Amino acid sequence: MKARKRQRGKSANPGGDSYVFRLFVAGNESNSSQARGNLARICEKHIKGRYKIDAVDVLKDAAAAHKNNVLVTPTLILVRPLPRVMLLGNLNDTRRVLAALRLIGDKG
Amino acid sequence: MSNQKPPYSELESYMKEAEKLIHVLRTQQVDAIVGESHVMLVRLKQAEENLKNSRNQLRALATYLLSVRENERTVIARELHDEFGQALTSLQLGLSWMSRKLTPGQRPLQEKIKSLSATTTSLIRSVKNIASELRPGVLDELGLVKTLKSEARGFQGRTGMQCRFKTNIAKAKFDRSAAVAIFRIVQAALTNIARHANASRALITMMKRKSTLILTVMDNGKGVTKRLVYSHDSLGITGMRERTLALGGTFTLGGSKSKGTMLTVRIPLSRVIVGKPSSSPSATLSSPDSR
Repeated sequence: MKARKRQRGKSANPGGDSYVFRLFVAGNESNSSQARGNLARICEKHIKGRYKIDAVDVLKDAAAAHKNNVLVTPTLILVRPLPRVMLLGNLNDTRRVLAALRLIGDKG
Repeated sequence: MSNQKPPYSELESYMKEAEKLIHVLRTQQVDAIVGESHVMLVRLKQAEENLKNSRNQLRALATYLLSVRENERTVIARELHDEFGQALTSLQLGLSWMSRKLTPGQRPLQEKIKSLSATTTSLIRSVKNIASELRPGVLDELGLVKTLKSEARGFQGRTGMQCRFKTNIAKAKFDRSAAVAIFRIVQAALTNIARHANASRALITMMKRKSTLILTVMDNGKGVTKRLVYSHDSLGITGMRERTLALGGTFTLGGSKSKGTMLTVRIPLSRVIVGKPSSSPSATLSSPDSR
């Protein structure tokens, strides 16, 4: 699909879980751009080589957002590993993002 | 122990999702709201920026208008003083010359000249008052502190209300435009007290606290409502606020029936005082009218 861009980590690490994210953004709006950058940085640092980001631009594909119950952008959905997690906002608070994605303990 | 979830667990999860949504909306981390058939872009930061810019433009305009008004007042005051003042004085001198030339038999004429002379004296006083109201000469000649002291004394004389003035920076040298702004704020505040406060006492203080000048004008009258403070019709209050903001200060006005009204203006000292300000308890100046 045109509105979707896929990005894979460069090197595979068979030792851990693979992460699949779906990030809903609104074009290049400020918070969407921040969310893209923040997610890429977090993934590179913590799960390098074990992640896949599926970016969905709601300005081009609003139906996908609706189908996934996305009400606002940016919204990040952790598709795998289960259970699914939904995060809202520009992902600026790294500690909370890591905790929500179960990459660190709740108290960090 | 039962593993069955409580009946409200689903509701709790909805509440958590709603809280997350409210958080991102409040912290302005949202770009778009996605509806069933359309996407609405939310440019809160941009809108806020635009609002801030237009506020700054309005403030700059208000500051410019205030300075224009102040300059015009100065010109009108000077013209009044120089032209009318001089003409009326020479008129009065002429009348007293005529009075001296009259013989005791010309009594009706003498009475008329006496009456005209009294009218001229009253006119001279009125012109002086108007010129002084427009631009108090004392502000340029003697400085802000003495002008405020004189204003307090004049207010007490005009209204019969006890009015005191206190300061701890009697010897400071004030920036000219800041001095005009402070004087106009006090003048407007006193006018409001005379017109609306129904008070019997007023107190003006101008104190240096660390790097801030704190000006307060308070009374023991009937107070002021919040609606009035923020009303667009309250031009006097709006003018005081604009003058304060133009000096990088903050303006608060509040009060109640039991406490009266208190106006507080805080301005960075660097915007008000020329050179190094000095303050000490011995420099405290109080209006001699105070009791």
